[in-house]
Parts: sequence; C-alpha cells; structure tokens
Amino acid sequence: MIRDAGAATTRRALLRGSAAAALGAAAGGLPRAFAAGSLSGKTVVFASWGGAYQEAQRASYCEPFAAATGARVVQDGPMNPAKFRAMIESGSPDWDVCDVTIDFLYNGIGDRLFEKIDTSIVDTKRIDPRFVNEYGIGCIVWSYNLGYSTATYPAGKEPKTWADLFDTRKFPGKRALNDEPVAALEIALLADGVAPAQLYPLDVDRALKKLDTIKSDTIFWTTNSQSQQLFVDGEVSLGVILNGRVYDAAKKGAPIALSWEQSIQSVDYLVVPRGSRNRAAAMQLIDTMTQPENQAKLANMIAYAPTNPAAFASIDPKVAPWLSTNPANVQRGFVIDAAYWRDHLKANTERWAAWKLG
Amino acid sequence: MKRPARHLWLLLPALLVLAVAFLWPVGWLLSRAFTQPRPGLQNFVLLWQHPIYLRVVWNTILISAIATPITVLLGFPVAHAMTHGGPRTRRWLIFLVLVPFWTSLLVRSFATIILLQRHGPVNGTLRALGLIGQPLPLLHNLTGLLAGAVQVLLPFVIFPLYAAMLRIEPSLMQAAMTLGARPVRAFLRVYLPLTLPGLMTGATLVFISTLGYFVTPALLGGPRQLMVAQLIQDEIAQFGNWGVAGALSLVLLAATGALLWLLHRTVGLGAIAR
Repeated sequence: MIRDAGAATTRRALLRGSAAAALGAAAGGLPRAFAAGSLSGKTVVFASWGGAYQEAQRASYCEPFAAATGARVVQDGPMNPAKFRAMIESGSPDWDVCDVTIDFLYNGIGDRLFEKIDTSIVDTKRIDPRFVNEYGIGCIVWSYNLGYSTATYPAGKEPKTWADLFDTRKFPGKRALNDEPVAALEIALLADGVAPAQLYPLDVDRALKKLDTIKSDTIFWTTNSQSQQLFVDGEVSLGVILNGRVYDAAKKGAPIALSWEQSIQSVDYLVVPRGSRNRAAAMQLIDTMTQPENQAKLANMIAYAPTNPAAFASIDPKVAPWLSTNPANVQRGFVIDAAYWRDHLKANTERWAAWKLG
Repeated sequence: MKRPARHLWLLLPALLVLAVAFLWPVGWLLSRAFTQPRPGLQNFVLLWQHPIYLRVVWNTILISAIATPITVLLGFPVAHAMTHGGPRTRRWLIFLVLVPFWTSLLVRSFATIILLQRHGPVNGTLRALGLIGQPLPLLHNLTGLLAGAVQVLLPFVIFPLYAAMLRIEPSLMQAAMTLGARPVRAFLRVYLPLTLPGLMTGATLVFISTLGYFVTPALLGGPRQLMVAQLIQDEIAQFGNWGVAGALSLVLLAATGALLWLLHRTVGLGAIAR
C-alpha cells in the first residue's frame, strides 16, 4: 500500500510557527497514573518511518513521555514489514513501540505479531473509536481525496464527487489515479453509485468496467511525489491524490484544491511487538501519544490528522482545514476496510495488472 | 593467436567479486523459486495458472524488441560520424555520448519528463511552429518509455559500433566502388557486414538491458508498458513472495537465453567474439 512520506518539506516552516505552542504542550498533561520519574533507568525503543514524520513523533510523543516518566527513548527504523516479522520469529524484538500501516496491522493480527493493547494503561476512550483496535491505537489519519486544478475548474465549477472524476463530458482533461487497486476500486464503485456502506466486499468486475470509461484519459502514479508533480506541471486537471500532498502543493503556490466528499481514510497505528521486554513502558508511551496536546503538536509540525478529536482545540487554524479527521471532513469520508484488503490484495493486484495491459 | 594460459590467475579477483556480489545472491533468489514456500514446482504452476505473469514477460520482450532496432538505427550514424569525422568532431561526439553515462538514471528520466510533458519544451515548440494544435501525448505511453530507454541505451550501441568501424579498412569501400558498385550497394554489401560484430554486440546489450528496466517504465510508461521487473518488485516488497519472484526471474532468464540462442543460430553471435 502507498504510504505517504508526507508534507516533509513543510516541517521547518511549521516548526517555527508552532514553537510557542509546543513549549506549552510539553509542559502540560502528565499521563495519568504514572508518577514522575517512575521509569527512570528504563529504555524504550521507538521505530517509525524516518524523516520528518519520525522527527515530529519524537518531539510530540517521545519527548513528553521521557520528561514525564524519566525513561530514555531510542529512535530506530525505518519500519519494514519483513524486518518486523523476523524480529518476532527471533523471540526477542529490538523494538518496543512501532508505527505500522493499517494493512500491516491487519496482516499482523492474523499472524500474532503484536501484544494486546493494555487498556488499564492506555486510555483508549480519548481516541475516536473508529481508530481503536485491540492490538493497535491509531496515531494519525490521512486520506485519498479528489484533487483538482483551480486554474481549470474555477470556484462554482469544481468537481466534488468521485462521479465527477468519471464524468469526462462535464470535466474534460487528463485524470490522475494511483497505480494500485487499493482505493482505486473503491473510488470506481462509489462513482458508479454504490453507497459506502455497501462497498465491501468489492465488486471488482463492476469497478474495472467503470474504470474502463476513463482509462484512456488517465495517468497512473506510483509515488506520492509523482502525484503532486502531475498536478503542479499541469499534466492532469483532476484526480486521486493524498490530502497531505494537496496541502503541500497549495502551500507552495500551486493552483490546487481538494474535495472531502467520500474521501477514503487510512490510519497509522502504534503497536507493541509481541515479546517486547518493556511492554508496560511501551503502553505508557502509546498512552502519551493519545493525549490531545501531543497529537496537536504533531499535526502542527507535519499536517497529519489526529485520532483524538480534542486535539483540534490546539491545532493551527491554517492547518486544520487540511486534516482528514477535522469534524467538518471526517464524517464525509470513511475508513478503508483493511480486513478486506488483507484477504484480497494479492488477487486484486493481479487483476489490476491484467486490466492495465488489457 | 594462442595466448599462454599462465596469467589466468589474474582473473581470480574479478571472479571472486562476481561470485560474492552476483552469483551467490542471484543463485539464492533463483533457488527460492524451487524451495519457497515449499520445495517443488508450485511457483511455476502458479505462473502458468495466472496468465498475467507470462503476458507481462511477453510484453517485456516485445518492448525490448521495439527499443533495440530504434537504438541501433539512431546510433549507427553517430558511430559513423565518430569514425569518419575529423578529430574535433570525434572528441565532441565521444564527450556528448559519455555525458549521459555520468548522470543518474533518475535524473535523466525526470529530465525526459520535463522535456516531453504537455506543457514542456517539445510540445511548446511544435505548437509555436503551428505544427500541432493540441499537445501531443508523448509521456505515460510507449513513446515516453522508448524516449527514456533509447537515450539511456545509445552509448551501448555506439561504442561497439565505433570499435568495429575503426577496424574497417577504408580502401575496401574504394575498391568496391572502383569495381563498379554504387555507394549504396558498396555500403550494404561491404561496409555493413563488416560492422556486424559491433552491431550485434550493441543490439544484444540494448536488448538485455531493456528486459530488466524498472525505473523508466514506471516513470515514463503508461499502463500498457507494465514490465516484468515491476512485477518482481511487487512480489518481493508487497507480498514477500520470494518464490514467485525467483520463478519470474528464472522465466525471464530462460526467455533471454532462448532468444540469444535463436539469434546465434540465425545471425551468428560468434561475430561478437571476433
């Protein structure tokens, strides 16, 4: 699945803007039930995806956790599914808390890769229930959205729904589509009139038939930077793109906007690898992540949406409209069915390749 | 001429590097085709049962077969000018052909994107000249892929051709024409056959390199330019299927071997060794 390395380049600019807010956040909100310094001498290893994202996680989750408990947090990574599995097989994982994509969470539950979340330590009630799993707690949300060029489609004439993406008469021009079945099949079915509640299991034949109607007008992207470039260069006028990429392009002055209608949300989870030697401390680090000030700090740094709705109270009003879980946006979309994709990714990827060649 | 064999030990370091950095990992991957997830031929059965895999292998061979003659046709005049032009021309041409070698493949692919995109310089110039009304679709299709592949592969065909042409005795063409052959006939009957060793070396290099292309089709090609390296990458990175990836690699290797053998039988690959 696609993983957005995100609006990485915006980090420094945002850092400056939120420095004051950050100072306030770090000082506040000691995790419940842990005495200050209760974990001093302990070391917890946190693994994520590197780059600006992990840097933001370090500042927003790990530092407040270390300050409150006295534990030392070591950064490691990048997260790699094969490496994660090998660690579990070896019986003593190097990592204590790890950031994983939704598809790996569902695959890993089946293969018993994770510790159960200890709800006596992690206050899961803070988190929107849609992002809480027995084995992982959602930390950020991002989404597949309909993006469009404001130069081609001025206000009032802009595309709004996935049906518009397939309407080549009303919205002529080249389209961008992610080059994988994930989300693309859902989008085709939504455009064909299937209600989100009736989507799964996906009717792949129907989806591919619908996709046939725009195939010759479509440019397929394989990386997120490519999707952004297609819009910036004017190669496409509308299409599927991740919300963070539209935010980044718009901030840099590109004439681009997005619609939140039927956006397809994906989630990163924090998990504890099975057999972690610091299980309790790992759970405490996850609990620190669930706190609204910490999630707000991360969103201000890197524009990834929080899973704790209360975080919006401290999120920069310039960033908030771009976030998938903004109360104004979150109900217009839905979370991708990772259990479906766990069971059908292989077969659907083969069919996708055949469809592309056909 | 028979060379004494006593300096063969000098090959050892190179062979050692090849064994450790190439034979061992490649052999490891290929052996996975027969051992993962279970010992047996199930991975090949799977490739056979899911027609998409062999279709992509065929597609890959087809794309390489299109790219190769285009590269040869474009490279031939360059090699010819390098051989028969003045020393200044030669120096410049060698420099220009080498420059792409010093540039990363990714940089060159993105440069091609900039050149060929809808609002890029190529379409802009053609429109300014009034030759076209709408921008031509030069990217994300076979044209884009070939543009990206051919410019990268040109040196592989130019240099062997240049080496072959240098060895052609100039008086041979004069002799042919003195004996009454028109220039075209002299070229086809005398010059061209003498370039064949270089031409076949270059064409073989281009063909085999294209078979393994990964970055170029992903960035410059369209949906129909799906190539086998992309499938192998998916099998490993997305699904962790080392067995299927190994089997796909073996099928590609076997197909390449069979094609080279066919070429050897029909055109004479022995010419390369000359």
